[in-house]
Amino acid sequence: MILYILSIITVLAAWFFLMPKAVTALFTGYPIVKTLYTDGIFKDIQFVLDPLSAFFTIIILVMGLLALIYSKGYLKPYTEKGKSVTSHYIFFLALFISMIGVVTCQNALFFLIIWEIMSLSSFFLVIFENDKKEVLNAGVKYLIFMHISVLFLIIAFAILSIKAGSYDFSTFAQVLKENNTFADVIFMLFFIGFGIKAGFVPFHNWLPEAHPVAPSHISAIMSGVMIKTGIYGILRILSLTGTPSKFIAYFVLIISVISAIYGILYAISQPDIKKMLAYSSIENIGIIGIGLGVGMLGLVHNQPIVAFLGFIGCIFHILNHSIFKNLLFFGAGAVYLKTHTKNMELLGGLIKKMPKTGALFLIGALAICALPPFNGFIGEFLIYFGMLKGLSINSFFNFLILISAFSGLAFVGTMALLCFTKAFSVTFLGHERSEKTENTSEVSKTMIISMGILASFALLIGIFPELFFEILIMPVETLMDLNGITGVEEPLAIIQIIAMSALLMLFIVTLLMYIKRYSNKKTETAPTWGCGYDRELPHAQYTGSSYASPFLSMLKPLFKKIFDIEKPRKLFPKSAHFSLKIEDIEEAYVINPLLKFDEWFLSKFEKLQNGNLQDYLKYGLIFLIIAIIGSFFSWSFTGGGF
Amino acid sequence: MKGFIILSNIIAVMLLPFLMTGIIRKTKAFWGGRYGASIFQPLYDFIKLIKKDFVVSNTTSAVFRLTPLISFAAVITAALFIPLISGNAIIDISAGLIVFAYLLALGKFFSCIGAMDTGSSFEGMGTSREACFTSIVEPAFFIIMGSVMALSGNYTFESLSKITENAGSYGVLIIIFAVLALFLMVLIEGCRVPVDDPATHLELTMIHEVMILDNSGFDLALISWAAGIKMLLITSLIAKIIIPAGSPLYALYYLAVVLLVSVIIGTVESSMARIRMSHVFEFIFIMSSFALIVMSLTAARVFGG
Repeated sequence: MILYILSIITVLAAWFFLMPKAVTALFTGYPIVKTLYTDGIFKDIQFVLDPLSAFFTIIILVMGLLALIYSKGYLKPYTEKGKSVTSHYIFFLALFISMIGVVTCQNALFFLIIWEIMSLSSFFLVIFENDKKEVLNAGVKYLIFMHISVLFLIIAFAILSIKAGSYDFSTFAQVLKENNTFADVIFMLFFIGFGIKAGFVPFHNWLPEAHPVAPSHISAIMSGVMIKTGIYGILRILSLTGTPSKFIAYFVLIISVISAIYGILYAISQPDIKKMLAYSSIENIGIIGIGLGVGMLGLVHNQPIVAFLGFIGCIFHILNHSIFKNLLFFGAGAVYLKTHTKNMELLGGLIKKMPKTGALFLIGALAICALPPFNGFIGEFLIYFGMLKGLSINSFFNFLILISAFSGLAFVGTMALLCFTKAFSVTFLGHERSEKTENTSEVSKTMIISMGILASFALLIGIFPELFFEILIMPVETLMDLNGITGVEEPLAIIQIIAMSALLMLFIVTLLMYIKRYSNKKTETAPTWGCGYDRELPHAQYTGSSYASPFLSMLKPLFKKIFDIEKPRKLFPKSAHFSLKIEDIEEAYVINPLLKFDEWFLSKFEKLQNGNLQDYLKYGLIFLIIAIIGSFFSWSFTGGGF
Repeated sequence: MKGFIILSNIIAVMLLPFLMTGIIRKTKAFWGGRYGASIFQPLYDFIKLIKKDFVVSNTTSAVFRLTPLISFAAVITAALFIPLISGNAIIDISAGLIVFAYLLALGKFFSCIGAMDTGSSFEGMGTSREACFTSIVEPAFFIIMGSVMALSGNYTFESLSKITENAGSYGVLIIIFAVLALFLMVLIEGCRVPVDDPATHLELTMIHEVMILDNSGFDLALISWAAGIKMLLITSLIAKIIIPAGSPLYALYYLAVVLLVSVIIGTVESSMARIRMSHVFEFIFIMSSFALIVMSLTAARVFGG
């Protein structure tokens, strides 16, 4: 408890010091620079709060505080059982501070160190329930993926710092602008490194494993904020390279469309509510990437308005996703806390017992499906509009890619609708499906408050998008030159009209409610029409998997289904069961074979580890000799001398 | 002028959906050798429904009671963005098509969760199919609209009437396939034969009708009106494509198109049976392929010289 208060104080202190600066930087566009002078290998470490960094910093500050408020109620049952949460809060603070560090630090070496602290602290947060085997497995998988990611980042930063002769980001820009092919290679390295963190397909595998096992406020922070640091990295590199090459722009766009479709497809297939949300994060990272790709295409084809719409859509969606994904994870956590299951097929009818959680989850679901009047729609609309404008660029390949992305995003949108109508209705509506939901009640006030704040943000951005639009122009300015750009007023005017019509719609709804209430009609209650059956059968309700079944069977080849069926036999069947597990196709056909190969290959070296001390000494000696010869060579290659 | 647009569009939204349904039913009666009810019958039904009391399932929550209101409000707001009888939309903005599509999606979202709220397995069945079909229809719709808008460089629905102007000799072909695709969309979204059967009472074969089994009174009236409006809106897009831009007799032509589409729907319904559920996908994919043809023709026109 003391630690909880201490954490709150720390986070509030961070608010106190950083919020005013970040807000000033975001509103005025003037970067705030703090330099740490060190004599060591770091040289000078610059912390810069330019609009882009400030934007991310504000998200981290807000979401961090909300997650902390939420965690009080969420961790209560654990502390009551006697589990220590001390280390949990310490790592939470470490993650919180390192995330702020990542988005502000402009020194490559120091950046990597903070990046690593961020990965490690989040690893310890993921394995909170470390007495469960699957939690540890997922945690280790996460750790391995993060280290593959950091490997790419180290290579890229090392090459850049050697070329530039400094660790400072601002010196990289020159090096990157000199040589286009070099810049492409570096960008690809960064894209893979940061893409693993962000969860782009095919680097996404850690995401659906790590998110479900972490405590819900940590899943929320990871999905809503931490994976965005990957996006931040890509944006930062983009701001250094300036106009990217055609290849890179198309590459980012295509991989984003694939990520979005892949993510939502698997989200539909998951019965586990948090795994579903994790896959939907991949989808949303894809949508953010589509915005980014459209922006880059606009830069490549010298269409500033297309670039502007793409980038601002991307930035908008980063903000929106962190809002509604946190809300949904908080909601899922509330459900898990009360029912002790994440399997939606065992839930149902919860809205009667947890009406507030249910209503807030519904708002989150509407927002994530990008439905007006909530925030998700504004971001996606800007991306769509950018793509529509981009269609007129006179290049066949461009037309083909953009119209596929255009309809691809529509496809993703409708699939999100399927996914979240399923998730919401199977969890919260209808009859109760099992005894899991029997003794549930509404969650504590702190949890409701943190969800409520997020939900009101979602509505606020949806209704007053123009305010946020004008603020978010600033971060876009770090990515492209906005001087002399024409036609920015058009999208601004349009989203205002959209917000107005959304308000009109809400007005119509209220009007209809009024009419309905005062029309003085009798309301009779009766059982649901059973089409001739006279008894209600809660277990005969449509389940989540039957809901998704027609859609999934249409796209059969994209899934690896593992059935476990025991059909009822004979006249009086004693037992029968059916279960269906859907495996990630990439995991089944790419990662697992690779791991198998790895195991086979490394088993060839098993003989080296024979437990014989003399042999180990021998290895040490051989290594030393190689090291000495190696350093001698490198010394003579660099021209000798000391 | 603006006042005229608003007034005429509102009148169109209030009357034409019922008339369309009425004409479809009359056509079916004609082909069935019956006199059939008056074409105003759907309107009478609507008024009757409004006067009725409610029966609400005791499984349901507030979601179920809100659903018809929100779905209806979403559809009627979507109608603001579509050029109706006056040839102009009340809210005429670039990329209005996206707002239109997402408002319809909002309506669909609520009708889905409203149906699932009853806990009936039949309604679940209908919902799952409805959500699934939408996911194929929507991308095709976006491809058609994207292509047409790329052709003219104009991002409002006005670009629909400029196909012949911009596409030259390809114009006729693009118009044919776009209209065919949109007509299929009317059938799918309007829940008509061969995708769905609005007349049957067999729950297992229905999609839209089964989702509203538990709605009654005012709610049901709103739902049926909204379904009619949805059909009218897509028909209006067809009208916008066919009728030459700036025609002084736009309203007259528009009514003719609505009449024609209704008669064709009625004829289709009388002449063929509903497709087996597992084959409906294949039918919907016809729309996707038409959309791809429109896209290829556009690409051929723009880049093929």
